[in-house]
Amino acid sequence: MDLGEFEADNSVSCRLASAIPAVCKTEDCCLGIDEAGRGPVLGPMVYGICFCPVAKKEALKDLKVADSKTLTEAQREDLFRKLDEAKSFVGWALQILSPNTISTSMLQRSKYNLNALSHDAAIGLVQFALDSGVQLKEVFVDTVGPAEKYQEKLSQRFPGVEVTVRPKADSLFPIVSAASICAKVARDHSVKDWNFPEDLGEVDADYGSGYPNDPKTKAWLLKELDPVFGYPQFVRFSWSTTQTLLDSKAVTVHWDDDEEDGEKAAARQNNTSMLSYFKTGSKTSAQQGNTHQTHRFFTERRLQSLATL
Amino acid sequence: MTTKKKRTPHSQNDRWVVVAADSAVETPKKDDGDPTFIRLRNPSTDAASLYLLGSGDVQLYEVKAFNEDFHSWFIGQTVQRDGRLLYVTPMDPLYLLLPYLIKAGEEGKFQPVDQVVMDEDFPACTRLLSCTRSQASLHHVAEEKEVGSQKFQRYSQERTMEWLKKKAERTVKTLRKSNISVGEGVKSTTYVRVKQESETQEEDYLRYAHGLISEYISEELSKALLKHLQLPELSSPKEVEPPSKKRRLTDKPLEAGEDYTKFNSSDFSRKPPKKMSAAQKTLAKVDKTGMKSMSAFFSPKGKAEKK
Repeated sequence: MDLGEFEADNSVSCRLASAIPAVCKTEDCCLGIDEAGRGPVLGPMVYGICFCPVAKKEALKDLKVADSKTLTEAQREDLFRKLDEAKSFVGWALQILSPNTISTSMLQRSKYNLNALSHDAAIGLVQFALDSGVQLKEVFVDTVGPAEKYQEKLSQRFPGVEVTVRPKADSLFPIVSAASICAKVARDHSVKDWNFPEDLGEVDADYGSGYPNDPKTKAWLLKELDPVFGYPQFVRFSWSTTQTLLDSKAVTVHWDDDEEDGEKAAARQNNTSMLSYFKTGSKTSAQQGNTHQTHRFFTERRLQSLATL
Repeated sequence: MTTKKKRTPHSQNDRWVVVAADSAVETPKKDDGDPTFIRLRNPSTDAASLYLLGSGDVQLYEVKAFNEDFHSWFIGQTVQRDGRLLYVTPMDPLYLLLPYLIKAGEEGKFQPVDQVVMDEDFPACTRLLSCTRSQASLHHVAEEKEVGSQKFQRYSQERTMEWLKKKAERTVKTLRKSNISVGEGVKSTTYVRVKQESETQEEDYLRYAHGLISEYISEELSKALLKHLQLPELSSPKEVEPPSKKRRLTDKPLEAGEDYTKFNSSDFSRKPPKKMSAAQKTLAKVDKTGMKSMSAFFSPKGKAEKK
């Protein structure tokens, strides 16, 4: 599998696809969707689709594709090669969501959660297949979140396509298994030789599986922590594993959309209540008399006089 | 303009990001001495403020800091927690000399300035007199007499008012040129108006200029200047009496529809938010779109199906 396009800039989301088999443009097709790398704190999450004519479903079974989790890495590689060889009737496409994309989506001001991110990646890939002229009739998806809701969402988005969302779809439908193999192989390749775009010198490449409970991954995270920057883009900052480590070991950073704690909240609580503005009386005018009010030219521009440096 | 980083070892912060006029940081000629930060009495607040004297004490600069929450600097290969940006801008030393002249002027005598400009709290104030503009501009605010080679001054309110008026007029010109919004009401500087503000009147500009100059003079002078500029004092809306109540239309005794008295106590204040655990906080932040609510699992089946 050639991941060159993603490796050229692994900070963004990237789409890779096989050529579209000619039969897929004329015959009714089925399509499977699956993902790899949802849980790890390291590396990208990969969404994969695989499609073939409905009539060729049996041929796919003959390839003995099975749920990627039950296979060894070598078996997966082998199966992917077979899928690629069957390019006369099998097509695939991948959406690689870089760890940086995941971090920035989940941590931005208006939170974009992992479920939404996943759904949108899946929808994008199905749309890609449609745009490429694939005659889609059936779509099979392994579920993310509640199955009914997801099915409803996809059916509405793609009228005329029969959508089946099922937990464990990757072991029930060969086309989903095939998609899961494509996704898993791409994920493995990208993690194995991660190009660190940061200027870090020699980075220890022994980071294990990337799952938060892997002792190797834990040790790596502890070792590679930078007090100011935290981690390279390879790490998902939005994972609680990362955030716990940053909270305890790195320098504290305040953002203006942090929930207010400590000093700020206290200041807020000392605020004059709304009612005081309706009171007529000497209190407010006396307060104004004492304190010098800086002209709005300066307050609007956040300019202050200084007493000391 | 140049950016310069300064260091002092004994401060909490040993580095600042400064924007200063080239003249403020010029290397001193001969033994004139380095440019120095000094603390002087702020004529408007009467408290200490920071100023800078250029090399040889020739020019005075005021120091202002842009300071907003949640800012830090990356400087070269380091991080600076203090995200302030200091501005060092030229200032007329006469503003700082004025309070001393006014105080001496109460005696009504002509006196040499160097006897007048003295301050126990801010001994550095005498250095203001070596600024080029100081001696030459004293006549703007004081009457002068020359006896032999010595000059004597006496504060003049009239001259000061004329001087400040000129300052205000010059400020108005600059305000117009720099397109600064001076009208009433809240306006955003980033909001682009389609219609030009032709309604902005001369008075708005003048009042704004007066406000700016008031940052550099005492409150009394500010009030006097307002009169001199013939700007009517703004009546604060707080002092306006509430509109009289409407006459009752019926003779029947009136009763309140709802009881608001429980909110009427003066100690009404915002209740502190309940403490949440770290896990609860993260949970609260989660984007819940597309997720089933907990209660959905407990509601009767028939109802859910109908929907």
